[in-house]
Amino acid sequence: MSPSLRRDLLGGTLAGLVGGLIFAWVIQAQGMMISVAGLVGSSSAAIGIVLHLVLSILVGASFGAIFRYQPDSYATTISSGVLYGLLWWIVGPLTLMRLLLGQGLTWSVAEASAAFPSLVGQLLYGAVTGLSFYLIVALYLSKLPEFMAAAETPHHPSRRVVILGGGFGGVATAERLEQLYPRDMELEITLVSQSNFLLFTPMLAEVASSSLEAQHISAPVRAALPRSRFVKGDVVEIDTATQVVKVRAGRSMPLEIIPYDHLVTALGSSANYYNLPGLETNTFALKTLQDATQLRDHTITMLEQADVKPNEAERRRLLTFVVAGGGFAGTEMIAELFDLVHNVRRYYPYVRKDELRFVLVHSGDHILPELTPELGEYALNKLQSRGIEFKLGARVAGATPEAVLLNDGSQIPSHTKVWTAGNQPSPLLKMLPYEHTRSGQIVTNDTLQVKGSTNIWAVGDCAQIPDLFNTGKYCPPTAQHALREGQVAAENILASIRGKPLKPFRFQTLGLLVALGHRTAAAEVRGYRFSGLLAWFMWRSIYLSKLPGLEKKVRVAFDWSLDIFFPRDIVLTTNAVQSSPSIDSQADPAPVKSASDVEPAKGNSTNENPVPSKNTPLKDGVA
Amino acid sequence: MTQANFFKRGILPGAQAGLIGGLLFGIAMAWLGFLPAVAALVRSNSTVVGFLIHLVIAASIGAGFGILVWHQQSGTGETLFWGLTYGALWWFIGPLTLLPIFLGQGLVWDIHTAQQYFPILLGHLWYGAITALALVAIRRQTIPADQSEIPQKDVPSLKRSGALLRGALAGLLSAWLIGSMLVAQGQLTGFSSNAMGDSRLLAWLAILLSGLLAGLGFAWLYPRPRDSAGAGLIRGTAYGFIWWVASPVTIIPLLGGKGLTWSVETVKVMFPALIAYLLLGAFLALFYQWLDTLVRLLFSDEINTDDEEGAGIQGLQAIGRGALAGLIGGLIFTLVMAQIGFLPKVASLIGSSSIVAGFIVHLIISDLIGSSYGLLFRRQSYDVGSALGWGVSYGFFWWLLGPLTLLPILLGVTPNWSITVAAGLIASLIGHLGYGAGLGIVYYLMEAHYSPWWIPANQKEAQRVARRKEQVLTSAPALWVLIVVIALTIPLVLGM
Repeated sequence: MSPSLRRDLLGGTLAGLVGGLIFAWVIQAQGMMISVAGLVGSSSAAIGIVLHLVLSILVGASFGAIFRYQPDSYATTISSGVLYGLLWWIVGPLTLMRLLLGQGLTWSVAEASAAFPSLVGQLLYGAVTGLSFYLIVALYLSKLPEFMAAAETPHHPSRRVVILGGGFGGVATAERLEQLYPRDMELEITLVSQSNFLLFTPMLAEVASSSLEAQHISAPVRAALPRSRFVKGDVVEIDTATQVVKVRAGRSMPLEIIPYDHLVTALGSSANYYNLPGLETNTFALKTLQDATQLRDHTITMLEQADVKPNEAERRRLLTFVVAGGGFAGTEMIAELFDLVHNVRRYYPYVRKDELRFVLVHSGDHILPELTPELGEYALNKLQSRGIEFKLGARVAGATPEAVLLNDGSQIPSHTKVWTAGNQPSPLLKMLPYEHTRSGQIVTNDTLQVKGSTNIWAVGDCAQIPDLFNTGKYCPPTAQHALREGQVAAENILASIRGKPLKPFRFQTLGLLVALGHRTAAAEVRGYRFSGLLAWFMWRSIYLSKLPGLEKKVRVAFDWSLDIFFPRDIVLTTNAVQSSPSIDSQADPAPVKSASDVEPAKGNSTNENPVPSKNTPLKDGVA
Repeated sequence: MTQANFFKRGILPGAQAGLIGGLLFGIAMAWLGFLPAVAALVRSNSTVVGFLIHLVIAASIGAGFGILVWHQQSGTGETLFWGLTYGALWWFIGPLTLLPIFLGQGLVWDIHTAQQYFPILLGHLWYGAITALALVAIRRQTIPADQSEIPQKDVPSLKRSGALLRGALAGLLSAWLIGSMLVAQGQLTGFSSNAMGDSRLLAWLAILLSGLLAGLGFAWLYPRPRDSAGAGLIRGTAYGFIWWVASPVTIIPLLGGKGLTWSVETVKVMFPALIAYLLLGAFLALFYQWLDTLVRLLFSDEINTDDEEGAGIQGLQAIGRGALAGLIGGLIFTLVMAQIGFLPKVASLIGSSSIVAGFIVHLIISDLIGSSYGLLFRRQSYDVGSALGWGVSYGFFWWLLGPLTLLPILLGVTPNWSITVAAGLIASLIGHLGYGAGLGIVYYLMEAHYSPWWIPANQKEAQRVARRKEQVLTSAPALWVLIVVIALTIPLVLGM
């Protein structure tokens, strides 16, 4: 209870007593009876007065707590007292008293008129209580020594939670904290992220295929987290000894030092190229919004150039599109690219349909290994029947500007190469002096605390979290897991602040959905399998409902509806790729570039890793 | 603020204003023959002595009013409502309580005494209103120009005429609406207490003229209301009450040569006009504030819209929160409804008579009204107290509009605003007030969770306190009390 509330409660109690006494005196002096004694089955006047005073005090105390003292506002305090007294007339004499006395309730005009004396009484009691409440508290405040008045001023936040990363895990943590601490001045939440928006990654492929606008699948973090502090910047250093995070918000800006009491790492992952030659510079990743828009612009540029280039070999490179990785991202991407190119081909009269080639390179025998083999087979057949080539059991061994190199020594000549076959956790995690997996994930226990620490928490792709439903296994790096992990982390931070027991993270995958373009999809929800149009509807409705923010939902729904009536847009928004068909010229803005010294991720991602967890044999193959 | 200043600009003008108010009130008292009762305070029964004593009391109560509104905002419209509320409260304190005590008579607060003193209540309302207006006028003359804080002075004349135009438009529109409702009841001529005879045309003219004047007056009193349309609606309801007291109850009979007809028996007949005027005021204010918002949207250059998130977000939020709050308020109301067996009547809206159907229809209505509350009263409550005030007032408005007006219309029955019907709906009134209280509080609690979101967390509490203080110094608290006093006393005193 805050000191001012205690003061108002006490002031209200006293005021209620004053109001009750005056009321009782007036009534007794005029020979009227206080009728509340009947409530306790008594007819004694003394008991009536005592009971009346007790009730007056209770109503007065609640008046103080509800209406509170506000300086200079005696007019309002008196009128509020009257209002409150009148409302108590309804609750008390008109309702509760009749109920307790076993009389029926009708609220009829006769009944209410019979209670008119107590209406006048309640009104006057309210006015007197309001006035005396104001006077009592004002008197108390004027007598209050100054040092005590100073003690009532609000103090500064004493619990600082810093969240690193603005993906699903980080934003979910902050959102849950905001819900749990709606008005707590003590808690300060800070979220640090490189981008000021939450990217809805499941729809990234549709941005790359020009069916959704880039901005529409990203929600600004600042709007989603009204009461948190947001810092857009790069984390430079995490110092667990002094409990600070150092952040640089811009190249020329000084280091910002953010102290924390609890640290949540939700740094996510970035593409892992396993040191394969030429991959990083010659392929597109599909992790950021910029990746997607660049890929879209690049694809359209390829068509533009193919429309004027006569050279057969170059045309083949321009019109061949290769995606490496047969997981969710890779499969959706090749299907969407196929859709995009075929949808806009009519604008390019010199591009023939039979020149177009789409290839998916996948190391396993089945694409979409997370789904049941039947659904994987369905997807494969569906895409194959459209004309997409699959190279199963093949690994990418490198890339040049002109072609993709495979481990069997063959090449696929292409200017458009997309790499979705490997992820690695953020290298920033290395700064945490705790246990890491070989791939660089930080190891947590089942309460999401980083092993060996009590105030550092990790959620999302960057953490290895034990899966309580599959002993010995770990939670997969999916958005649905990251969301729930973030919420549990927030609840556990709260529990640890309050010294309550932490709760373990348990969550079973709800379902998996993969869009296959062209109004088809495959889905597996709680063991039930769906495919075709129904699954596609499920994909669209489920992901639309998961898209953060109503505004973005509406925009995406509009984008999708307009898609029915109009062809896809081929406007080039950047001309970076136009100068050269090679992707060399693109400055890769990928957030983490130190791939060379990081070990490959373990093959547990949705983007199924074609590379075995030991990457050395591959290097031999490349060599 | 020195004490001398407080005396010179607070107490003294208050006493002067009280004297002016008391003068008129005293004439009315003399007319009604109440003055000898006052004179009895000094063991006399002379009217002259009574009048003098009355003036002394009026001046001292006026001085109290000067103290009361000392910190409050000084606009005419704001002070007017404080005056009315203050006058009404003194009716309970004075004639009903202190007078019998001083006279050594037994204190009887019962309904018959209240009925007997009803003319004095009307007198008190007049006294409060005139004292308030006089106080504003006196203060305006004595306040040095540099300290003038009257917001209306800032309004350029062009804008002022625009406001008057909007007021006239809103007044005519709402008058037409109320007129149509009266036509449906065959009560058209009853509106202006038959002073115009039985002519339909004249009656319509009287209504439209009243609407026009009321609209102009509202625009003059509240040229640029800063609060939401919902707050305006409540203000309008109370404003309609002033018009009822002024026009059909007092001025029209006076002009018609019928004298002061303030007794319970005669005012009873004018109860339909009370409902008409309350609704007229409510709609007038609502239309006026909507027009004002429209003008602001189209022609205002204001870019300081920190707290505007766009209708898509805040509108839907308000509707959603309002619907949930309405549901909870509706459940409170259900207790009353079930007790008095009103649910079958609600069910008859969909042609059923089962209690379950009635309960469902009732909850749907509660939801809809709750949503409208959310839209109208978004960000108007800064503590539970103001939430209670707005909610209860809105509940009263829906008692007027719902069971008294719309329910009969929807059931295909002619609505009847007579006092007998209203007195039969007292239980429903209690239910509506309870509904409003639940609605207001729940809505506030939900809104307080998030708003004001555009301010950094550590400044939010300070901002809320500042806004609450700002509201407390307007006439809003007076409005809440006035509405509840009207709701609880007038139907009882007139209906019994």
